[in-house]
Amino acid sequence: MGILLTSTTTPSGSLGWMFFLAQKYSKMFLQGTWITLYIAVIGTIIGFVLGYVIGLIQDARIGAGDSILKRCFLRFVKIIATIYVEIFRDTPMIVQAMIIYYGLKTAGINLSANAAGILCTVLNTGAYMAETVRGGIGSIEMGQREGAWAMGMSPFKTMLYVVLPQAFKNIIPEMANTFLTNLKMTSVLNVIAVQELFMAAKTVGGNYYKYFESYLVIAVIYFVLCFAFNRIFILLEKRMKGKDDYALAVEFMEDKQ
Amino acid sequence: MGETIISIQDLSKSFGDHQVLRKIDIDVKAGEVICIVGSSGSGKSTLLRCINKLERQTSGKVMYHGKEIRDAQREINEYRSRVGMVFQSFNLFNNLTVLENCMLCTRKVLHISKTEAYDRAIQHLKEVGMAPYIHAKPSQLSGGQKQRVAIARSLCMNPEVLLFDEPTSALDPEMVGEVLKVMKELATTGLTMIIVTHEMAFARDVSTRTIFMDQGYVAEDDAPANLFTNPKNPRTREFLKRYLAG
Repeated sequence: MGILLTSTTTPSGSLGWMFFLAQKYSKMFLQGTWITLYIAVIGTIIGFVLGYVIGLIQDARIGAGDSILKRCFLRFVKIIATIYVEIFRDTPMIVQAMIIYYGLKTAGINLSANAAGILCTVLNTGAYMAETVRGGIGSIEMGQREGAWAMGMSPFKTMLYVVLPQAFKNIIPEMANTFLTNLKMTSVLNVIAVQELFMAAKTVGGNYYKYFESYLVIAVIYFVLCFAFNRIFILLEKRMKGKDDYALAVEFMEDKQ
Repeated sequence: MGETIISIQDLSKSFGDHQVLRKIDIDVKAGEVICIVGSSGSGKSTLLRCINKLERQTSGKVMYHGKEIRDAQREINEYRSRVGMVFQSFNLFNNLTVLENCMLCTRKVLHISKTEAYDRAIQHLKEVGMAPYIHAKPSQLSGGQKQRVAIARSLCMNPEVLLFDEPTSALDPEMVGEVLKVMKELATTGLTMIIVTHEMAFARDVSTRTIFMDQGYVAEDDAPANLFTNPKNPRTREFLKRYLAG
């Protein structure tokens, strides 16, 4: 209680305490916000890339004309991908964080808490995104591929130029969702001592035994962050939709029509 | 008629226990316009898809200039770039404009320059009367317009043979007319075409050879003048009676 006595004015009421804590520990909360954002953004972006790769592997079909080596390789990679997705979808992220952090430590690899946090987010996002990508690819009708194949385009190029751009557009809302989930899920990383927002609130709250008020502060921060990002994504999605009309190429108009 | 381009030999196809194609033998010569007619489920479309290797035959061969097309992806891609296909559901790339649709495969498969790809696209889009719509997306076009773009897109590859899989079945009567008109013009250019169709009058007027398929067999294969006036096979007679009587 010594600290309390030294402060000039004693805050009254929960709201008062909230402002007091937010002001006094603004540096800590800002630092927490930064690390939360940092881990969520980096983890999500790399996770998306991983998700696309895994999703494509899962979608790949073994062709009748493939060599035995290619078949074996593809089958092997597919099995690995499936195992990975199952493990990370069927265990909680908080447990994954512990296992990755302490597991690597036991194996003699010393990752910083932040790096382990990012790795955990990447692997978690990748597993969920893989399923989303697979679903996104599945939502594009087969005719789109056949149209490209029928003109001699390889399955890989067809995926790259025809299927993925359309699938990407379809799964933007799901990608936005995943990012928002990640932004909030970084809070579990406090168990491996990542100094993110939750950790900041826990520390601050402990100083004054004012947990309720301290967590209210970060609740507001989380809310503002997610709300802002959500608006940005909605705007982005509208942009991606493109124009509803098109300009006639009048220079070709006098041709037979 | 010129040399044999595609030769289908003893080709059969089953989906599980269901046999769709039974021992098909057809030679396609340069300049031929072959119409394949027959009731739904007789295997017409499956045959066309087997020719283009979109379906893998259960037995038999597809020969292209005397060389068998095997299952190797590279070989199939090369072959498909010379044998185009137009689909019932158009299959235009929804993410690209009309112009981009016509340029994608010439750029990425044939690796021709951008200006050449553009010139080709415009040339063929003019032929089908769709040049003014180069900036439109497929979703902004009518069915008939889409199909004409799809035909132009296939022509950009300079195919040796063009396959049509019921190109007018998804269209209303007015649009059928505009697409058939384009196909008629194409037929006069000497392009080799294989057309699966339900348009009997078109088959009679345009084809140099008509094939009637029934239950997976080639029931009759003759000049349209013979097939449409004096069919030899009783099934052909029955089928055509239904179409031509009215």
